[in-house]
Amino acid sequence: MMGAAQEKAKIELRDVCKTFGSVDVIHSLDLTIEGGEFVVFVGPSGCGKSTLLRMIAGLEDVSSGDIFIAGRDVTDLDPSKRGIAMVFQSYALYPHMSVRQNLAFGLEMAKTPADEIARQVNAAAEILKIGPLLDRRPGQLSGGQRQRVAIGRAIVRKPLAFLFDEPLSNLDAELRVSMRIEISRLHRELGNTMIYVTHDQTEAMTLADRIVVLRDGRIEQVGTPRQVYEDPNNLFVAGFIGSPRMNIVDAVCLAGDRIGVADAVIPLPRPGPAAAPGEAVKLGIRPEHLRLGAPKESALRAHVDFSEYLGSTRYLYCNLQSGESITVEQRDGTDFLSGEEVWLNCDAECLRVFSPSGERLRTGRPERTATA
Amino acid sequence: MSRNHGSSTRRLLEAARYHGFGIAAALLFLAPLVWSVLVSFKPSIEARQPPLPPWPVGGFSVQSYENLAQYGSGIWTYAGNSLAVSAATVAASVLVSLLAGYGFSRFQFPLKNVLFVLIISTVMIPFQSILTPLFLILTKLGLQNTLTGIVLVYVTLQLPFSTFMMRNAFDAVPREIEDAARVDGASVFAVLYRIMLPLVLPGVATVAIFAFLASWNEFLAALILLTDQKKYTLPVLMAAVRSGQFGTIDWGAVQSGVTLMMAPCLALFLLLQRYYIRGLTAGAVK
Repeated sequence: MMGAAQEKAKIELRDVCKTFGSVDVIHSLDLTIEGGEFVVFVGPSGCGKSTLLRMIAGLEDVSSGDIFIAGRDVTDLDPSKRGIAMVFQSYALYPHMSVRQNLAFGLEMAKTPADEIARQVNAAAEILKIGPLLDRRPGQLSGGQRQRVAIGRAIVRKPLAFLFDEPLSNLDAELRVSMRIEISRLHRELGNTMIYVTHDQTEAMTLADRIVVLRDGRIEQVGTPRQVYEDPNNLFVAGFIGSPRMNIVDAVCLAGDRIGVADAVIPLPRPGPAAAPGEAVKLGIRPEHLRLGAPKESALRAHVDFSEYLGSTRYLYCNLQSGESITVEQRDGTDFLSGEEVWLNCDAECLRVFSPSGERLRTGRPERTATA
Repeated sequence: MSRNHGSSTRRLLEAARYHGFGIAAALLFLAPLVWSVLVSFKPSIEARQPPLPPWPVGGFSVQSYENLAQYGSGIWTYAGNSLAVSAATVAASVLVSLLAGYGFSRFQFPLKNVLFVLIISTVMIPFQSILTPLFLILTKLGLQNTLTGIVLVYVTLQLPFSTFMMRNAFDAVPREIEDAARVDGASVFAVLYRIMLPLVLPGVATVAIFAFLASWNEFLAALILLTDQKKYTLPVLMAAVRSGQFGTIDWGAVQSGVTLMMAPCLALFLLLQRYYIRGLTAGAVK
């Protein structure tokens, strides 16, 4: 089973729950991960993403529900029998073994013949460029090298699926970028099913085929990076994905597919969202969709609080007439003074309307998907 | 240049002071050991004289060792008893505390903490106070006056400390290492043997040293529970050897016995001291 090199295992979670004592950590969760897919679990700390991954690995018991890997019910199976490999945040290398022994351990446990082990270990070392390190101990390696070894230990076993538990959080920023690309390349080359847990949305956006956004043990949205970014299901996803965050302001629906925000009246795409005129809603606008322009009725009047210069972009932190703060991403290089008045325009297609309880109120037609 | 010179002189003085103090302290601790060894090589009559100078004046003699060797059933019987008891105590203590420590550190079960505190709290019971019940229990079990019985007593007395020590050692091993091994396909016992055991070796060394020293040197329980002279361990033998003719004390025989008894302790400690220090601090700082 583990020898089946490039088998693309489908992973299914059916009505999976997890409770620690009286605390529900995962609430009745259903999820299907297609074979060969790269899925990223993302969410704030404590949302249950790591617990969910450990449940798939078999390191945490499932309180109720079933887990299937490659069509086999593994719910009550020991981690050793699930055919998965896992990479941990702390690398979790065996400190008393050399890199070679670390890589070989899983194969030894599977009673692989010695010559086959040597071949596999060398092949993995080749892929990850850790050949010269094979006889060192983990203590003699840098963080990046340790992480490579940890990944190597996962790939030698040719598992059905890879599970990554925040594998890059202990690395410095530069190394994180290069390891991220390497993991992406690894997925392209091996083609296995991969599940990756992170709280870093850059990692989530860049690596994932599909992102699973979790909050308090519930799935808030499952979709491609583009879907969760541009078409969020609710306020939580809208606010969590994207940096700087999506601006959320109070608004009122008006007759004729328009919306009132502070002292501006902005047209909405037609047909408008399912909200009655006069109904209070929340309006979401991404910082990059706001443009500075001339004063007019449909533009938001705001005052610059302060501005951040980041080289290619500038972030303006402004206050609306209503006192709400709003962030604008600006790319034309103009300088702004604190207290300066600006008028902000936004295309109707870029507005996202939510109910006061946070649910998305969609319009009747597909919204613009490309970023402005 | 002169400043360099001054600082190097100061460094030299500092080193001299540091090493001088170290050597003095080492001498202070070594003196009684050396004294014992020297006296053991004095002839019997000289050993009874006032102890200065400590070294044998009338030439080295192994007379005390010969006296000791011929005592009772012969020194090798007693040394063999002691060795067997100590080795069995070490083996049993390590085995039981390894499994118990692993269990207390890694598994969840009802009344886990209560049980642990119960085990630790037995340290508070002075062991002399339970000698009589121990004697009765061992008699009931037919283990009184047997080396097996005394080993069981020693293991029981060592258990609280050993279990505590091993639980701390296991606690200090990150859980993710164990998780990684389980995902890698290792069974519970493979995890314990291949991954955890090498990582808790300092703890094991500490437990082994403590069990060895305690059982090797223990006197009271051995004196009371072993009644047959052939079953005596070395500490009991030493008490018997002490009394020479007409109530005098045969210091030569005593010191040769002391020398003989401390040799294995020193050897074991020197062999395992590297692990021992690491073991005692394990779990102190995570």
